[in-house]
Amino acid sequence: MALLSIENLCVELEGPEGTYRLLDEVNLLLNKGQCLGLVGESGCGKSMTALAIMGLLPQGMRAHGSILVDGEDLLRAEEERLCQLRGRKMAMVFQEPMTALNPVVPIGRQVGEGLRLHLGLTRHESETRATQSLARVGLPVERFPLGLFPHQLSGGQRQRVVIAMALACGPDILVADEPTTALDVTVQAQILDLLAEIIDEFDMGLVLITHDLGVVAETTDTMAVMYAGRVVEDGPTDEVFRRMAHPYTRGLFAAMPSHSSDGAATRTPLSTIPGRVPDALSRPAGCPFVTRCGFATDVCHQSVPQMEALGHRHGAACFNIARGEVDQ
Amino acid sequence: MSEGFAEIWRMGLRSRGFVIGGVITLLFVALAAVALVWTPYPVEEIVVARRFQGISSAHWLGTDQFGRDLVSLLMAGAVNSVAVAIVAVGLGVGIGVPLGAIAAARQGWLDEILMRANDFAFAFPALLSAVMITALAGPGAINSIIAIGIFNIPVFARLTRGAALVVWKREFILAARVAGKGPVRISIEHILPNISSVLIVQVTIQFALAILAEAGLSYLGLGTQPPQPSWGKMLNEAQTLMFLAPQLAIFPGLAIALTVLGLNLFGDGLRDVLDPRLRRER
Amino acid sequence: MTLFLVKRLIMLVATLLVAAVVVFSVLEILPGDPALVMLGVSAQPDTLAALRAEMGLDQPAWLRFFQWVGGLVTGELGRSYTYDVPVSELIVERVVVSLPLAVMALTLSTVIAIPLGVIAASRHNKPLDIALTGAAQFGIAIPNFWFAILLILLFSVTLQWVPAGGFAGWDAGFWPAVQSLLLPAFALALPQAAILTRVTRSSVLEVLQEDFVRTARAKGLSRNAALWRHAVRNALIPVITILGLQFSFLLAGTIIIENVFYLPGLGRLLFQAIAQRDLIVVKDLVVLLAGSVVLVNFLVDVGYAVLDPRLRSGGGHV
Repeated sequence: MALLSIENLCVELEGPEGTYRLLDEVNLLLNKGQCLGLVGESGCGKSMTALAIMGLLPQGMRAHGSILVDGEDLLRAEEERLCQLRGRKMAMVFQEPMTALNPVVPIGRQVGEGLRLHLGLTRHESETRATQSLARVGLPVERFPLGLFPHQLSGGQRQRVVIAMALACGPDILVADEPTTALDVTVQAQILDLLAEIIDEFDMGLVLITHDLGVVAETTDTMAVMYAGRVVEDGPTDEVFRRMAHPYTRGLFAAMPSHSSDGAATRTPLSTIPGRVPDALSRPAGCPFVTRCGFATDVCHQSVPQMEALGHRHGAACFNIARGEVDQ
Repeated sequence: MSEGFAEIWRMGLRSRGFVIGGVITLLFVALAAVALVWTPYPVEEIVVARRFQGISSAHWLGTDQFGRDLVSLLMAGAVNSVAVAIVAVGLGVGIGVPLGAIAAARQGWLDEILMRANDFAFAFPALLSAVMITALAGPGAINSIIAIGIFNIPVFARLTRGAALVVWKREFILAARVAGKGPVRISIEHILPNISSVLIVQVTIQFALAILAEAGLSYLGLGTQPPQPSWGKMLNEAQTLMFLAPQLAIFPGLAIALTVLGLNLFGDGLRDVLDPRLRRER
Repeated sequence: MTLFLVKRLIMLVATLLVAAVVVFSVLEILPGDPALVMLGVSAQPDTLAALRAEMGLDQPAWLRFFQWVGGLVTGELGRSYTYDVPVSELIVERVVVSLPLAVMALTLSTVIAIPLGVIAASRHNKPLDIALTGAAQFGIAIPNFWFAILLILLFSVTLQWVPAGGFAGWDAGFWPAVQSLLLPAFALALPQAAILTRVTRSSVLEVLQEDFVRTARAKGLSRNAALWRHAVRNALIPVITILGLQFSFLLAGTIIIENVFYLPGLGRLLFQAIAQRDLIVVKDLVVLLAGSVVLVNFLVDVGYAVLDPRLRSGGGHV
């Protein structure tokens, strides 16, 4: 059984001018010890998916479909049960380490809080475990006492605290929402390496949300490309990179700065995808990408393409996969 | 401009506070306006025979210890409250806004002095100083207006300066300066119109505070003097008669509370309508 | 941190000095010769001159100012013209009424307002929140002296639970004394509690939007646990500022409330001293009151440092 299995997940928001559909029929699969990459531009629904997995969708949003964690459907679980699962079964690493930590609480207590809550540890026991947890992420207690406050740490160090906090209770699923975006380039690689190590060591599943295809290529086992609240292409990472099928995926790839072997960006001009992501109210009737797609035909304007199998677990939602391949 | 006004009106009607507060405020201003020319009974008419009457069709809220009609007294009291508040807040706006505008336009030492004086005024309880001023300069309506007005000056000076500094950094001000306009002209033509919504909201709030302060001073016997009716004074007199006629202590207070409530609701509603960004500041 | 407090301390002294100068000059400028007031308008010119000399009124203003400030520093507050006792004695006698009253009122308003504000925020836009916000609007609009009169009407006139005014004195025992301060404290606390509820509510609402609250929820804390353990403490930082400001409003409020309840406190003393042109008492009292306001604001700054570790240590990375 898959560790995490999301089926037909829709998230809707009741607005004054109608219902906004923020996530539309999202299907995702994550196995133990693996890393799933979610890619897309901002506003495509990546973060919304992460929050849905944590059961922390903002008030007023409705979700249907199912999110199965070890076979248990989170969307049908009571809030009380969700509190037991959060931090224990699935944990999250946030984008902004600067604001994700409570500024007035020492880091030791923030890391230990979940331990006391979920494992019923005493203050002393939770401190011992917090010390171990922090040491694991590279913050040994000799240099980083538990009494430190977040403002006394750098951005990278804070993100390590957030990771230690997420790891503390030994969760099975780790959701990392753009964990390196707010960090210096040099620190980004360290944090990604740390996450990869931890997944191996604890045999967890990682959902890595990013807009950076380079990160996806390096870190993930499987990937899903999201556009306007839908998954438009997914599959094993190497497979997707070998045979990019959806025009949007290829657009993203073309927009990525390529690096030569010495690490310097090459001088070729970056291409961009014209236009922008349509917002939830003004989505076109047919394929959501139709307004920006260079291959759009009549059928694209009329109906929504469904996921089509292209190979072993590789699929894409596009009417023109064949044509796109020819043009590549 | 009239289009903008219509827009404000349309949005305002959607805000509960704006509508309720606006209606209450209008009602009291209207009562005060009517009282200027007509009250059910003459306010000075003392008829001992009909004193301490209860609620009746002749006297809707009864009569006081001199047999004066309470509705008439409350209406005349509204005139007093509105008049004191208008002049006191007017004083604050008239002096505070130019000071703040100058401080923002000139910066430098003038700004510094003004702001330090402001800090000091804020550290000091306004009512305490108002009591001191009215007591030492002699009780009376004029002195209480001055005392209340003085403490409106720093409020408006600080607000104007803060808001004006933001506007001064905007691009169209640079354009005006390039066009050779002086600081005074820019302040009048560009800065003030842009900060007027903030000022209007503050005026309603200060108006409510002025009514409360005037009532407090009159209650202490330092504000409006008899025979001119004032809500605060009425409460003071009612307190000694509490065992005889408790209703005399209820209605003037209710009048103050309702007026202030109406103004505050109106001000909050207006703030939400005029500038949603301001909501978070309080 | 130390530097921060030293700066504040200098500010404190400076503000007090400015207050002294302002009070002294205001009383110099305003009409009313204390010697004349004491002796009456029919006083003989030479008796008047003798009294003026005795009171030091014939000396230049700047000299009297320094003598007065020197006295304030050494605790020599001078002598009241009307009561004919040392001002310090008068103040001590009245402080035992006003200080407990202010402390009671501040405690009441804090104890009532902060939980209400937090609860309102946690039920944002639900019926309870709307009811509490509406009640707070009323609380702000009600003049505290009218509320005091209503309290007297209900609890003293109708129910006869507590006396309508006056102070039993601490000699009469702890409970009777507290009892006579109960209604005044409530009357003082109401508008403050209303303001504080609103401030707490909006502050909590703001903090609830912060990322770290979501982090706490992601750890498995329930909505309420995240609210009380993570949001409230952060939300209290701006509330503390308002609490400091409220102290000065409370002081001003005591002038009126002590008059409503005929309490022999500092506010009433000030009111009477002003009315009787007992200028030395007025000067000393005003500086004392200003001093306590500034002192409380200083304590607020210390409170900041306790609540907010970012101020405690000078920052900087490890």
